[in-house]
Amino acid sequence: MIPNGIDQTEVTRILFQDFTPWMVALFYAYAVAAIAAFVWGVYVQARKYLRGVHPKSIAWPALTRRAAQAAYVIASHASVRRRDRSAGWLHAAIFYGFVLLFVGTSIITLDHDIAPVFHARFWYGAFYLVFKLTMNVAGAALIAGVLYMMYRRGWLRPPKLDYARPDRNPADADFDRTSYRIEDWAFLWTLILIGITGFIASGARLVWLQHEPAVWQTRWWSPVGAMVANLLQGLGFDAQGAGILRMALWWTHGLLALTFIALIPYTKAKHIVTAAATWLMRDPAAVARLPQGRLDQGSIGYKFIGDLDSRYLLQADTCTKCGRCHEACPARAAGYPLSPRDLILTIREHANRELGEFFPRAHEPISLIGEGVAQIRPDTLWACRQCGACTEICPVAVEHVPLINMFRRTLVDEGVMDPGLQRTLGAVNKTGNSFNESRRKRPQWTKQLPFAIKDARKEPVDVLWFVGDYASFDPRNQKVSRAFAKILHAAGVDFGILYEGETTAGNDIRRVGEEGLYQELAHGNIEALAKCTFDRIVTTDPHSYNTLKNEYRDFGGVYQVDHASAFLRELVASGRIALKQKLDYTVTYHDPCHLGRLNKGYDPPRDVIAQTGANLVELARNRDNSFCCGGGGGRVWIPDPPGTTKVGEIRAREAAEIEGLDVLLVNCPKCMTMLEDAVKTSGNEGKFRVLELTELLAEAMDLEARPAAKLALEAN
Amino acid sequence: MKIIVPVKRVASLDDEFEMREDGRDVEPDFCEFDLNEFDEYSIEAAVQIKEANPDAGVEVIALTIGPEDADEVLRKALAKGADRAIRIWQDALEGSDQIAIARIIAKVVEREQPSLVLCGAQSSDHAHAETGMAVAGLVHWPHAAVITHLDYRPGAQSALVERELEGGLVERLELETPAVVTIQLGINKPRYASLRSIKQANAKPLDVLTAEELGLSEAEIGVPGSLSRVRRMFPPDRRRSEMIEGTPAQQAARLLEIIKETLH
Amino acid sequence: MSGILVLAEHRRGEARPGSLEAIGAAEALKADLGPLAILIIAAEPQKYVEPFAVGAVDEIITVANPAAKEFEPHVYEAVLSRVIEERKPSLILLPHSIDSWGLAPGLAIALDAGFATDVFGIRREAGEIVATRAGYQEKVWVELDFPQKQQVILTLRSGAFRAPTELASPKITALEVEGVKPRSSHLEWRDPPPSGGIDIPGSKFILSIGRGIGDEANIEQFAELAESLGATLGCSRPIADNGWLPKARQVGQSGQLAAKCSLYIAMGISGAVQHQWGMKHVETIVAVNKDPEASIFGIAAYGIVGDMLEIADELRKQVAAAHAEAG
Repeated sequence: MIPNGIDQTEVTRILFQDFTPWMVALFYAYAVAAIAAFVWGVYVQARKYLRGVHPKSIAWPALTRRAAQAAYVIASHASVRRRDRSAGWLHAAIFYGFVLLFVGTSIITLDHDIAPVFHARFWYGAFYLVFKLTMNVAGAALIAGVLYMMYRRGWLRPPKLDYARPDRNPADADFDRTSYRIEDWAFLWTLILIGITGFIASGARLVWLQHEPAVWQTRWWSPVGAMVANLLQGLGFDAQGAGILRMALWWTHGLLALTFIALIPYTKAKHIVTAAATWLMRDPAAVARLPQGRLDQGSIGYKFIGDLDSRYLLQADTCTKCGRCHEACPARAAGYPLSPRDLILTIREHANRELGEFFPRAHEPISLIGEGVAQIRPDTLWACRQCGACTEICPVAVEHVPLINMFRRTLVDEGVMDPGLQRTLGAVNKTGNSFNESRRKRPQWTKQLPFAIKDARKEPVDVLWFVGDYASFDPRNQKVSRAFAKILHAAGVDFGILYEGETTAGNDIRRVGEEGLYQELAHGNIEALAKCTFDRIVTTDPHSYNTLKNEYRDFGGVYQVDHASAFLRELVASGRIALKQKLDYTVTYHDPCHLGRLNKGYDPPRDVIAQTGANLVELARNRDNSFCCGGGGGRVWIPDPPGTTKVGEIRAREAAEIEGLDVLLVNCPKCMTMLEDAVKTSGNEGKFRVLELTELLAEAMDLEARPAAKLALEAN
Repeated sequence: MKIIVPVKRVASLDDEFEMREDGRDVEPDFCEFDLNEFDEYSIEAAVQIKEANPDAGVEVIALTIGPEDADEVLRKALAKGADRAIRIWQDALEGSDQIAIARIIAKVVEREQPSLVLCGAQSSDHAHAETGMAVAGLVHWPHAAVITHLDYRPGAQSALVERELEGGLVERLELETPAVVTIQLGINKPRYASLRSIKQANAKPLDVLTAEELGLSEAEIGVPGSLSRVRRMFPPDRRRSEMIEGTPAQQAARLLEIIKETLH
Repeated sequence: MSGILVLAEHRRGEARPGSLEAIGAAEALKADLGPLAILIIAAEPQKYVEPFAVGAVDEIITVANPAAKEFEPHVYEAVLSRVIEERKPSLILLPHSIDSWGLAPGLAIALDAGFATDVFGIRREAGEIVATRAGYQEKVWVELDFPQKQQVILTLRSGAFRAPTELASPKITALEVEGVKPRSSHLEWRDPPPSGGIDIPGSKFILSIGRGIGDEANIEQFAELAESLGATLGCSRPIADNGWLPKARQVGQSGQLAAKCSLYIAMGISGAVQHQWGMKHVETIVAVNKDPEASIFGIAAYGIVGDMLEIADELRKQVAAAHAEAG
């Protein structure tokens, strides 16, 4: 490793070689200033975050587990690679390059400034050579990564990076995103210049010191540097010329790097630090279990920036504008004035104005909700479907869904909502269902069954079927409910329902932001369930499923809750369901957000489909990338403005692209309502059927009539 | 300055229902109850006057007549911005018609001396459209019915109002105050009372009185104080989904007959 | 106490049709209750004598008062009270009009008379007046009587009684009523905007179309059909969502409530509960739908299983034929 005849202590790099003392002093002065700027920046940012609401203490045991998870996500880059593999891998190159270079620089500092005190210098010889090689690889990785990012931003130009704001008009003052674009490019150029100047300085040093064997003979341990050295020699640089070049680039490199460090807390570079913190504090159930509101306090939702949880302020700062949420958002895709990214950036801008000043001044707080600059518009908040696509894909653990929900609570409290929604909330308050039907009518769908369903309020049952609103009142979904009842009956399941004793589970009432009404509904159902004897709860409605399973526990209702698809898989697997037909349909399956993304119920429905013999062709967007039907977050109760594309129509068209599709399978009553409608309005009526998974199974069991022939359907 | 807003807890019926044993009303089991929709607008109108004149010391008083169940509509009124509430009940009030109810409201008006009484134009269950104007008759106050616009500044001697007449014709008039007016739907956009605000309204005062305490004699309340009596209540005979068969031409012909029968 | 008194309503110089219907209602009761008198209160009451001299009217009483150029409830109440005190009719009939809403309750209080509003049936039983009205959003009928009341005031539902057309030659009596004072002053009339023709909540007859229409191109023919039938054109949510018809025509939870509708023809509407919210209370619902299982048939009084376009075409032909015959 060390060439013969060279003392290994000579195999090193002499720092500040040939520097005059004032040059060294100047460098240290700049370094101290940069670090001071960094520390001040960290202080200002931390002060900003702490001006939000935060708990007084930290739960340490959970923290170690979270830390391990955060470390895994960051090290594996799993979250950055999703749905953008190239960018993910090259970001990993930048990340690891940066980390290694940072560690390398720290090692040099350790050797130069601390080790001498203990007479323990170590940065020479074999260690030095391996170090050099590592730094070269890291630098090359960094440059390669940044070059790709420049190529992507400058030439590939994916739409998610174009910063077009759906929540603003071009005439609005804060429509323009030029400052963000400048920041993005400045960030990339700074990184790449640090990398390039580093290598050129390294090459120039080799040429400059070409006569020192300890340097020259070991030069290939820094391969990029050595190549640059060859190039410089080819360009005619002699030792002296290279020395000047080395001096110039040393300073460029050093000052750039220090400036970069100084600017980290003030620019998007801060995500280097804050993303680790957001992952550390991430709530994995953020979408499935919304924050529990306190009804007895002055306000119930977010209105001013200081109302926000510190975590959210940190998240708003961490956003790197990667646009994955923007791309995933169904409301954005359908042309609604919502981009989760722009919402987060608005919060960031508002927080910087209100909480992030260098020297805070006392002033009246400005509402975060409004039509002005750095305010979130009510229409933006109401566009959200609470489907969780944004939160699920965010690589830096931003939790848009609960944030939007907290703002909606304020809108509801102040009555800023669609009149139709207001009527629906009034109806739920009055009748316990969103259909404004009398409580008495809830079990009416059972009357057309050839058998009686047990009343779980009167006798013990194994399975308590929580039917839910849409499955009880909506005529199309009532058919599904009857099919499910017939299946359970045929399988000999001991089951019952709550009859008039059930009220809407309230999942979507909570997602609308009517937290008080939600809690009332939850308490009512928990009370009703407490009087019944049962082993488990089963429901065909993923919305009811989600809140019963994840949210009722906050109010004392802890149950084993299964979605119908999981229960049906169980029944099929145990042989309690006799399949009489092999269905020769080509089907596709639409994952309901509340079953799939929120509760990871991806496989049971697919297993059931496989059992029926149907040929499953996946939709272009499936499983965690499923695309909302448009009915989530209470939007099922808010009319879409005339002339707009409906979210569901996009999904219906996606299904229609599947060659020879017989059946679009849904697995949620609201999806049924929305998609059946969307299939018609998108001009695809008659091309394929929209069926519930339950109905497909019932056809395979010969409990439901199959269409006379596939041909008959096609002839329509 | 006070504004009294009388409100009513109204019933809506299920599609299927049974009559009470005496045949004079529906079995309450088959009803869903809520605040009268028209009263949502009168509450909002009162609260808007209060909010537009923050220094005028406007007090909005919600008032209802009914047993304890009726508190829920008062809570809703309080949640929407009323300052205090009064409920009047005693068993002898059972069987009151709208006029007997108006006699009680009139007593409260005499007692509280408000500048305005804002009633809903009618109740959404029985649509008598009597109570508000009967109160005006009892206290001999100026009045206007079915108004869609109200312009009143606390302390003023008159109010500018607009009445909505048949066919959408609007009459603008000036009305002496204190006055009783009845409010038509659409005069404003009633605010939503979130469950949280309804719960917090529990902290606002709600007084419960009897008609006797207001100084009404037995002859003035309940059945003796009424101007009408329900003899009988019954579901009218209605056919349900009679299917019209035949060729399209026959079906259309029958449909035209139905149009004629129904409209003339 | 005997006789019937009907208040003659007028507005902007025109007699109002509700009072004519009240005259029609009084006709059948005259035999029991005695002569029928009409009271005209106006600045120049002679102007209205002619239009109200119809049917079974025996006498027209005029009261001239400059404050009564247009309806003023305080003036009307005072004049009516005096005239009723003098004439002592046992039954007083008013149209159930917006003007009466502001007048009749105060009058009933002043006279301590039996009182019912929005009445569509009147009969005598054992010498007592029995009035029928509806309750609980038209779901029940209510029979009212008026124990121990010498006089009864009823306001009558518009369209419930036939207005007489045959001319009469009643006796004309001019009365003087002194010292009545208005407490409000008329400032101006404001006519509804001409384009505001869309009035779903106020329409008695709505022809509503739904998704069954299939194509935007078919909208026009239904607009024409509605007009020829005298119906207001309504629609279900998808039609408004598509922008095929203005939002003001949408019936249902997120649209309009067909509050005053008595005949609702739903064509190509399957009857989602959201739609039913706006119209299920309507007394006569006719549903036209291809799907015999459509839930709209669960609430309709009459059902036609068929193609809405075909039925509409037939309707158009038959209406045109009827017009040709009549014309």
